[in-house]
Amino acid sequence: MTTYLARRLAASLVTLWAVVTVVFFLLRVAPGGPFDGERRLTPEVEANLRAAYHLDEPLVAQYARYLGMLLRGDLGPSFRSKDFTVNELIAGGLPVSLTVGGLALALAAGLGIAAGTGAALARDGPRDRWLTFAATAGLALPPIVVAPLLVLVFAVTLGWLPAGGFTTPAHAVLPAVALALPYLAAFTRLTRGSVAETLTAPHVRTALAKGLPTRRIVARHLLPPALIPVVSFLGPAAAALLAGSMVIEEVFSLPGLGRYFVQGALNRDYTLVMGTVVVYATLILVFNLAVDLLYSRLDPRIRLGRTGRGG
Amino acid sequence: MRYLALVLSAPVLLAGAVDAKVLRIGNGGEPETLDPHRYNLRLEETILNDLFLGLTTFDAHGNIVPGAAERWSVSDDGLVWTFELREDGKWSDGQPVTAGDFVYAFRRLLDPATAASLAHFMYPVRNAAAVNAGELPPTALGVRAEAPRTLVVELEQPFPFFTERLIYPTGYPVPAHTVEDLGADWVKPGRMVSNGAFVLDDWQPHAHVTLRRNAHFHDADSVTLDGVRYLPTADSYAAFNRYRAGEIDAIGDFPSGEMDWVRKNLADHLRLTPLVSIMYLVFNVTRPPFDDVRVREALGIAIDRKLLTGRVMQSDEVPSASLVPPMVPGYRSAVAATGTRDARLERARDLLGDAGYGPDNPLNVTLRYISGDESKRVQVAIAAMWKDIGVATTLHHTELKSHFADLRQGNFEVAQAGWFGENNPEHYLNLLVSDTGDVNYGRFASAAFDALMDRAHAEADLARRIGLLREAETVGLAEHPVTPLYAVTIRALVDPRISGWHANPRNVHGARYLTWNER
Amino acid sequence: MNDLFRHAALGNRWSRTCFLALCTVIVLAILVPAVSPWALDEVDWDAIDQAPAAAHWFGTDGVGRDLLTRSFSGARVSIAIALLATGVSVLIGMPYGAVAGFLGGRVDHVMMRIVDALYALPFVLFVILLIVVFGRNPYLLFIALGAVSWLDLARIVRGQTLAVRQEAYVDAARALGAGRARIVLRHVLPNVLGPAVVYATLTVPGVILAESFISFLGLGIQEPDTSWGVLIADGARTMQTSWWQLVFPATLLAVTLLACNVLGDRLRDALDRRDTVRPTPVAARDASA
Repeated sequence: MTTYLARRLAASLVTLWAVVTVVFFLLRVAPGGPFDGERRLTPEVEANLRAAYHLDEPLVAQYARYLGMLLRGDLGPSFRSKDFTVNELIAGGLPVSLTVGGLALALAAGLGIAAGTGAALARDGPRDRWLTFAATAGLALPPIVVAPLLVLVFAVTLGWLPAGGFTTPAHAVLPAVALALPYLAAFTRLTRGSVAETLTAPHVRTALAKGLPTRRIVARHLLPPALIPVVSFLGPAAAALLAGSMVIEEVFSLPGLGRYFVQGALNRDYTLVMGTVVVYATLILVFNLAVDLLYSRLDPRIRLGRTGRGG
Repeated sequence: MRYLALVLSAPVLLAGAVDAKVLRIGNGGEPETLDPHRYNLRLEETILNDLFLGLTTFDAHGNIVPGAAERWSVSDDGLVWTFELREDGKWSDGQPVTAGDFVYAFRRLLDPATAASLAHFMYPVRNAAAVNAGELPPTALGVRAEAPRTLVVELEQPFPFFTERLIYPTGYPVPAHTVEDLGADWVKPGRMVSNGAFVLDDWQPHAHVTLRRNAHFHDADSVTLDGVRYLPTADSYAAFNRYRAGEIDAIGDFPSGEMDWVRKNLADHLRLTPLVSIMYLVFNVTRPPFDDVRVREALGIAIDRKLLTGRVMQSDEVPSASLVPPMVPGYRSAVAATGTRDARLERARDLLGDAGYGPDNPLNVTLRYISGDESKRVQVAIAAMWKDIGVATTLHHTELKSHFADLRQGNFEVAQAGWFGENNPEHYLNLLVSDTGDVNYGRFASAAFDALMDRAHAEADLARRIGLLREAETVGLAEHPVTPLYAVTIRALVDPRISGWHANPRNVHGARYLTWNER
Repeated sequence: MNDLFRHAALGNRWSRTCFLALCTVIVLAILVPAVSPWALDEVDWDAIDQAPAAAHWFGTDGVGRDLLTRSFSGARVSIAIALLATGVSVLIGMPYGAVAGFLGGRVDHVMMRIVDALYALPFVLFVILLIVVFGRNPYLLFIALGAVSWLDLARIVRGQTLAVRQEAYVDAARALGAGRARIVLRHVLPNVLGPAVVYATLTVPGVILAESFISFLGLGIQEPDTSWGVLIADGARTMQTSWWQLVFPATLLAVTLLACNVLGDRLRDALDRRDTVRPTPVAARDASA
C-alpha cells in the first residue's frame, strides 16, 4: 500500500509537470500579451514592462525560471493585479471556491445517492417515477438559467439571501445550490442505474434468498459494489464543478478561483493562469487518488498496485 | 468603451446602522493596482481620485479646479508652468506635501525601472520621452522645486491642455518618504499614505476596495462620508441584481435590455450621462479593398447612426459623424452626415459599383468587435445595414486582449474601436496622425492631415489651434479612414438618498462631494 | 432486466412521446430556417425587442431578428455539436477504458495516468485556450468538447471492466483458451455497454450545457450564427423584461435534453434485452419489500 501510494504520488508530480508545461507554452502561443489594452503603450513603456516581468528573455529561460519558482512554492507576481502576488490571490480565492464547490459536491453526491437508491428500490412506485422525472428534468435546466433565476427569486424579489459577494456563510447558499443541481441529477440517475443492476448480482440474490433485512442488504451487499461507478464519477464531477464554478462565480460575483482563472485567461495574466491551473490540477490529482483508494475499499475484488496481468 | 472598464463613479450608502456612511459603489471591475504610476484603467482613476490630490482636480460637476496647487502661471511662449502649492496640503500621516514630492513623483513615473504603463501621458514635459526610453537620467526631466511650495514644469511644446493632463493619476504626487522606505509594498492597505480626501483601509481582491476618510485632508470638514467601498462589478447583470437587492448603492452600468424596466420602476435612480468618448469603425487602409476610399465611404454612409442609437442602443447615446466627441467644449466639427437614408444608400451603391462591386460580385467584409452583449448588438445592426447595399458581412468577435492585439498589429479589415479620456479635440484627432504608432490601427497616413496637425501642435493660441484642428479633421475624414459612430452614454443607477452626484461628461464623482441623506 | 426498466423508464407512452418530441425538434430544425420568411441575420427595424406576434411567432431579439428562425437555427448547431462531441467521446472513451481495465497492470496504470493528466487540465481552460489560440470555430468546439468528454466515459468503463473481468464466466472463458481480444469483444464490451450508454446520455446534455457555459463567458459561436447556448445566455440576461427571449430557446433545449435522457434509458433497456451473459433478473419487488 505504501509503495502504491509513493508511486501514485510520483506519477502525480509527473502529471503536474506535464500540465504546467503544456499550459505554459499554449498560453504563449495565444495572440495578445498581458499589456495590450485599449490605451496606448509606447514602445519604450512596453519594453520597460516586458523587462520588469522577464518577458524579454528567451521562452525557454522563462520556462526554467517558472519551474524554479514553482519548486520553491512561489507562483510569481500577478501581471494584472500588480499589487499582489499570485500566492496572495490564490490564498484569498481558494477558500471561497472550496467552500462553494465542497458544499455543492456534498449536496449533489449526498442527496443524489440517497435519491437514486430510493428510486431503484421502489422501481415501480410513484416515488421512483417522480424521482426519475425530477432527475431527468434537473439535467435539462442549464445553470446559466437557474443561477440568475435563483438570484431574481430569492435575492431580488424575496430578499432572503444575498445576490452576490462573499462575506457570510449565507453568501454560499445560492451559488452552491445552482452549482449542485445538474450534478445532483446526474448522481441520482447514475446511482439508480447501478443499484438496479446490482440487485441482480448473485451475492445480493443470495442475501435476498436468505431473507436478511432489507436495510442490512442495502448497506452491506448492495451499496458497496453499486457505488463503484458512482464513486468513479466523483472525480469527473469534482473537476466539472470547478469548471461550472467559473460561470457561477461570475453570476454571483464571488471572489473565487474560477473568476481569477477566467479573468486571467482573458487578460493574458500568464502567472495567474498558471497558478490557478497548478492549484486546480493538484486538487484534482489528490481527489482522484482519494477516489481510487475509496474504490478498493468498496470492492475488495479490486486489488490496488498489482503489477500482474489478467486475473 | 464601456465594456472595458470604464465605469463609474457614483456613490452610495447603506441603509443599515452598522455601515452607516460607508457608500458602496459598483466600480465595474477589479483594479490592477492602486499605485498611481503603474495604473492603466479608468476604474482605477475613480479610486485614485479619492485617494490622491493632483495639482489640479475635479469639482463636484467634473470641472477642473485647483487641487494641491492653489494657483499657477504660464510663460508667454506656453513652455514654462509655475505652480504654487497650497499651504495646508498634508499627507495622511501628517507630513506636508511639498514641491519635492511632485518632482520625486514625476521622475519616478518616467523612470524606466517603474515600468509605468501610461508614462507617455507626461511626455509633454521636457525630456520626458528620452528619460522614459532610458536615454537620459530621471534628473534630466524638466521639473524642479524652486521653493518648498513652488513647482516649475517645463514643456517640450506649448500644450494649452496641460492642466487637464494633470488630473490623471500619472500627475499625482507620491509620498517620497514611504515609497523609499517600503518599496513596492507602499501601496498595501495599512501602509499606504496618500494626500486625498480618503485613505486606503482594506483591499480584498475581487471582493472590495475600502477607503476611509483622511483626517489630515485640508478640506476634511466638508467630507460627510466615513468611507467608500468600491466593488468589482464586472458583470453588469450581477451588478444590477445586487443594486436591486440593496447590496450596492450606486452602479455605473446595467444591461441595456433592462432600460424599459428601469425607466418604469427606478426612474428616480436612473442617471444617463453622455460620456466624452467616441465609438468608431476603423478601416485597415493597407488591405485591399479598403485602400479604396470609395469602398470606405460607401460602408461609412450606409450606416444610419440614428437608427443605431435610437432603436438598437436606446440609452440616449449621442450620434456623431465627427471623430471628436460632440460634447468637447469649444470645438464645432465641420463634418456632418447629410441626406436621407435612401439617398445615402443610393450613393453607397453607386460608390461600390464604381469600385467594381455589385450583385454579381458582392463585397465581403469581416467586421471585428469585442465580445460583449452591447457591442454585439451594434455590430449585428451594422451588418444588417450593409446588407442593404449588397455587402456580405462576416462578424468576428474576440475578447478585449486579442481584439486590441490584432488591431495594433493591423490584423483586421474593419473593426470596432473606441477612444475616451480627455475633453479636448486633439486627444481624438491624434489617432489619425501617421506617426502616432499602432493605435492608428488602420495605418492611415495623409500628408495634408499630418501637416495641419503639426501646425496645430506648435500653436500656443488656443483659438487658432482649434481652427487648425477643425481644418485637419475635415481634410482627414474626407478620406474616410474611420467611421465615427456615437458617444457612449453611461447608464448609472444612483440611490436617490445620495446628494452631490452631478452628471458630467467625464463621469467623475469624487466621494468627497457626496452626501448620504438618511430618510 | 427488461421488465424492470420498462417500468422504470416511466412507461412506453412516455418514451413514445419523448421520441416524437425529439423528432419534432429535429424536423423543425431542418424545416423552419429553410421556409421562414425571415433570414437568420435579418433585422426588422420596426420590431426590436418585440413580444411574440403574428409576424414573429417567438418574438424578436434585442436587434430585431426573428427568434423563431434563430431558435431553430440554434437547434441545428447545438444538436450537431452534441452529436459530434458525444460520438467522439464514445469512440475514444469506450475502447480506451475497456482496454485499460481489461489488461490491467502496468498498461492500465499508464493509460489511467494519461487520463488523470488530461483531467487535471480544467476543461474550460482547455477550451478557452484552444479558442484563444486557434480562433473561434464551431468544429474546434466539437473536437474540444468531445476530446474532453471521453475521459469520464473511459473511467466508468474501466471501473466496470475491472469488476467484470474477475467474474467467474470470464475466468471460465480464459480457461477455455479464449484470446484476449475475443474476451474483450464478447464478454467485456457487452457488459460495459449499459453504463456506457447511460453515460453517453449524460454526455449529450453535458455537451450542450458546456456549450452554454462557453457562450455565457462570451466565447461561443460567432454571430450571426447562433446556438441554444448563445440564445439562452442572451435570454437569461433579459428574462425580466423580454421573457420570450429566454423561454422559447430554453424550452426547446429542455425538451430535447429530457427526451434524450428518457430515450437513453430506453436504449439501455433494449441493449440489456440482448444480454445473454447475465443471470436472470431477480423479481423486482423482492428487494424493495
